[in-house]
Amino acid sequence: MLSRLKKLSQEILVTIGPIILIVTILQFSIIKMPWMVYYKFLIGSVMVMAGLTILLYGLRIGLIPMGEMIGSALSNKGSVTLVLFLGFLIGFAVTIAEPDVIVLSSHVDFVSNGDIGKLILVISIGIGVGLFILIAFLRIILRIPIIYILIVGYLTILVLSFFSNPNYIPVSFDAGGVTTGPVTVPFILALGLGFAFVLGSKSKTSDSFGLIGLASIGPIITVLILGVIYR
Amino acid sequence: MSEIFIAEDFLSLLLEILQALAPIFVIFIIFQIFVLKLPKSSFLNILKGFLLTYIGLVLFLYGVQIGFMPVGKYIGEVIGASPHRWILIPIGFLLGFIVTIVEPAVRILCAQVDQVSSGFIKEKTMLYTLSIGVAAAVALAMAKTVFGISLIYILIPGYLIAFILAFIAGPLFASIAFDSGGVATGPMTVTFILSISIGAATIMEERDTILHGFGLVSIVALAPIIAVLVFGIIYQKKGGNLGRRN
Repeated sequence: MLSRLKKLSQEILVTIGPIILIVTILQFSIIKMPWMVYYKFLIGSVMVMAGLTILLYGLRIGLIPMGEMIGSALSNKGSVTLVLFLGFLIGFAVTIAEPDVIVLSSHVDFVSNGDIGKLILVISIGIGVGLFILIAFLRIILRIPIIYILIVGYLTILVLSFFSNPNYIPVSFDAGGVTTGPVTVPFILALGLGFAFVLGSKSKTSDSFGLIGLASIGPIITVLILGVIYR
Repeated sequence: MSEIFIAEDFLSLLLEILQALAPIFVIFIIFQIFVLKLPKSSFLNILKGFLLTYIGLVLFLYGVQIGFMPVGKYIGEVIGASPHRWILIPIGFLLGFIVTIVEPAVRILCAQVDQVSSGFIKEKTMLYTLSIGVAAAVALAMAKTVFGISLIYILIPGYLIAFILAFIAGPLFASIAFDSGGVATGPMTVTFILSISIGAATIMEERDTILHGFGLVSIVALAPIIAVLVFGIIYQKKGGNLGRRN
């Protein structure tokens, strides 16, 4: 356990370290922010590193094995309808716990002075991912090539963007980019694997690819729809 | 110290993360009772995992809230207000490159492509190309904020290129490519780099903060898609047709 934690924290130090270095160089050259802001940044960085280490470790002993167990439980006794329903539900539930989704929504809530609220944004993104996991599973059953779903998905996005409130357009595309993170990806992959077992021989290895790509279309569509409603 | 630790913010974060984790926790409990029926020790282990996930999320998000977001915005505001706002573009390039080359998820993707192409596309080649691609994407996103370019003018040609390449590259590489969109948008992109562009858009009076501040994540997500597809096409043209077999 300790060696695992050590390796994780090294990995995270390598990820965050360069940012601290760049901010420090900027602080002493062109930016010169108030020292209080800089100190808070340093303390915040330590919290970010500690937080990421604990989070990733917690995922490895908690949520990831849980995803695998649910995936294989489905492969034993799941019916197709049940798996579709669970795909939606779990897609929603893991997305709203994704840190990047929460951070993006806070940005949007803050910048729009609460016009585009945090909670409704997080929920829309979650529904979007859930819906498209369901569609991704259906695609595997009906054996539709992934490229067609991608094209229809992006065409829908194009059409919706004409009718949506312009403020929601950049937000929706960013929402599509933040859904794939450390919480969602392993969970969705484990679920996909379980689903492939339920289908048995009908499924091919390449089916497990493409699930994540489809999952990022959903939130773009749901957030744009939100923009049509709040036009 | 009082400026660093704001109890009210911290408490609302504690509650918020509790809400965020509640649904997946409920799903687990339902599965445990009706399907999984794990023995006590493994059940407790997963509970421990949930608790650590909770603590980790709270620490991470609080650190982002007091550190990364305000500093990113501050940097964006200072450079955006200066006459040399173009400096945002090279800074974006540098940040994009560094954030990508150190991202563990990117390495996993590169190893995967190396494997699928039976070593024809080297992991290192892919890693450097992808990092330069993301760097260019972040620079482009900063240019979008600085010059007020509409996001649509970047995304529509971007996705058109991606789709044309996807048809040439075939289904296997197309799937890997569209899956890889998210790998370059790691935890630093949204928390730090996006904050810079939001800060810059806030300070420039002629720019709308939402319209010109956001969109960076989606431009960054395009870079790995195009990179994987280009490598897939090169592989099939020069390395054989293994990629089409699946």
